[in-house]
Amino acid sequence: MNMRRFALLILLVVALTGLPVLAQDAPEGDTFVTVMHYFTGELGREGLNTIFGNFQEASGITVFDNPIGHEDFKTTILVMAAGGDLPDMFSYWAGARTQFVVDSGRLAPIDEWWDANGLSDVVPASLAAGATVYNGARYLVPFGYHYAGLFYNPTVMADAGITEFPTDWAGFLAMCETLKAAGVAPFALGSMNRWPAQFWFDYLLLRTAGPEYRAQLMAGEASYTDPEVVRAMELWKELVDAGYFVADANAYDWTDAADQVANGEAAMTLMGTWITGYWNGNGLVPVEDYDFFPFPSIDEGVSQAVVGPVDGFVVSAEADHMQGAQDLLLYLLTDTDAQTTWAQGQGALSPNVNVDPSIYTPVMQKAADVVAAAPTFAFNYDLATTPPMAEGGLNMFAQFMNDPSGYVSYLEQTEAVAVEVFGK
Amino acid sequence: MARSRWFWRIAFLAIPLLLYLVIVVGPLLYSFFFSLTDWNGFSFDFNFVGLENFSKIFVDPLFGNAIKNTIIWMAAALTLPTLGGLALALALNSRMRGARIYKSLFYLPICLSLAVVGQIWIWIYQPRWGLLNITLDSLGLVDVSRAWLASPETALIAVIVAWAWQQTGLAMVIFLAGLTSVPTELLEAAQIDGANQRQSLLRVVIPLLQPASVVVIALAVINSLKSFDIVYIMTGGGPFHSSDTLAMMMYNESFKKYFMGYGSAISVVLFLIAVVLIAFYFRQVRRLENLYD
Repeated sequence: MNMRRFALLILLVVALTGLPVLAQDAPEGDTFVTVMHYFTGELGREGLNTIFGNFQEASGITVFDNPIGHEDFKTTILVMAAGGDLPDMFSYWAGARTQFVVDSGRLAPIDEWWDANGLSDVVPASLAAGATVYNGARYLVPFGYHYAGLFYNPTVMADAGITEFPTDWAGFLAMCETLKAAGVAPFALGSMNRWPAQFWFDYLLLRTAGPEYRAQLMAGEASYTDPEVVRAMELWKELVDAGYFVADANAYDWTDAADQVANGEAAMTLMGTWITGYWNGNGLVPVEDYDFFPFPSIDEGVSQAVVGPVDGFVVSAEADHMQGAQDLLLYLLTDTDAQTTWAQGQGALSPNVNVDPSIYTPVMQKAADVVAAAPTFAFNYDLATTPPMAEGGLNMFAQFMNDPSGYVSYLEQTEAVAVEVFGK
Repeated sequence: MARSRWFWRIAFLAIPLLLYLVIVVGPLLYSFFFSLTDWNGFSFDFNFVGLENFSKIFVDPLFGNAIKNTIIWMAAALTLPTLGGLALALALNSRMRGARIYKSLFYLPICLSLAVVGQIWIWIYQPRWGLLNITLDSLGLVDVSRAWLASPETALIAVIVAWAWQQTGLAMVIFLAGLTSVPTELLEAAQIDGANQRQSLLRVVIPLLQPASVVVIALAVINSLKSFDIVYIMTGGGPFHSSDTLAMMMYNESFKKYFMGYGSAISVVLFLIAVVLIAFYFRQVRRLENLYD
């Protein structure tokens, strides 16, 4: 009998200690908010810690945050969604990825809150239209955005005798030839994780076929075997065939490519403004050690779109701490100190018009000016098209960098993916 | 008395059984269920599509590619660590000096997680300053050195080598344990009958190692079906699917492309393959048991 009691006791202990673990959750009430985000390591972890700390102090709301690296974040958020256990709010990429979650019915619209706080006066209209509105309702609060340009090493350029930067294709090719003759590879590219190659495709297509055609392609209304896409790939192939890229692009990450530019092995890399955060962290000085120029025009009369991602936060439809989430969102976007910390720490551009441009480095100011002057802000490829399509396209870019000669068959394969994904 | 014994049997079985149901059987049935849907992983609702996901498997070139790579992996798993482990076990079973140190050294990689093994080998394969290319270059084999993990021709085999490096130690330990059960009387008898070293190895030792071999081979087969973690760390299945295994593809379809239904269908196929192989394994084990009883 004693044994039986003992066994039952053990069962009870297991049940009591086990169940609460399964049901663990942040405390109820409005003094908490749970946040998941992908701002780790070199992508702004430190700045965000400061911002969350300041918010906590000012508001009395405790932030439970959970940073996870980009790639793992995509999986983790999916698993949490499947388990019905999304955090109150999470960082997400504006564009097709947010559209996907919106279509799945897992996000809370924020129109009322947005209007009540007059946020349309805070975020530039062009940015707000493209990044925050999905299916006619507002879902995403922009936190920072980036612009992709040709970031170069000024010393390498000066040594090769380049003082003026090209605005057209002929000038661009001439510059590449000069650099190559000087014994420097014009372009570094680290496409190990595939996405860094996409900016080449984006700009080549945007500068030839234009933003409208590209939007059609991204939406599955045009074909990857169209002459427009073939032409973009041919231009890219000419650059690779001419030996303008550092060899074995697929063996390196984007930070390796950034290092190759910094140490003078390559002249430039087509990358987003977050590269400035990485370089600043390594002790490089803006203008002196690095600078950028916009991707040149190719065909006359095609609008000069800019490419980049917008990072934002979205609110889960089942958020337990809605008030806390709204307070934090408002703080993240409208507190100019928070925006300044973020812009300076991550190398991001601020979506808040009240942020004084003088907080930027001269290089980032120039980037802000280029974006402000651009007629179109286009999301980069893997944020512009649906996730399964992006998988197919990113694979094509890596395949292309490995061996550009097969580009026609790569495009056919990619179109086969598009047919399946878009049900064409 | 009998009643209380049954009570205890059920009471003690209840906990593991419950855990088994929740952790293994439940998710398994869930996967079967989702393999019949078009669920994307995010939304609350989905449609039943019957066997559509399964019919897609048969025409999907990526699936054929993943099957091919998994078979290559399995073939390599059956040879590299198995033969390497056997050779090491035979060498270190002798009374050579420092055998114990060597045993520990060869066994050490097993103590590392596959994520760590993957990272170590990423550095070894690094094209510029990696150990492999530096060694090749210094030997004058500049043409051989390359970006191992970035070339579709070499990525899969490079990952398998890293994996085999770890698994060899495990095979060695199992074979060493098997060798201790080889009776010295048999070896002496073979010697007296005039068997040379090669003959006693092939005719006495290796046949007696059969139980150990079954374990090593079963582990190799099962581990090759599971091959995911090290692939994920080292190549993510790339470049462009050249190192995709079935497990890796299942992950990509489910979590990167958000085809949770299709990913589940792949996992069901993977499960069926595993069931067939495990059934074969159990049959072998039972045959061996009968043999030795």
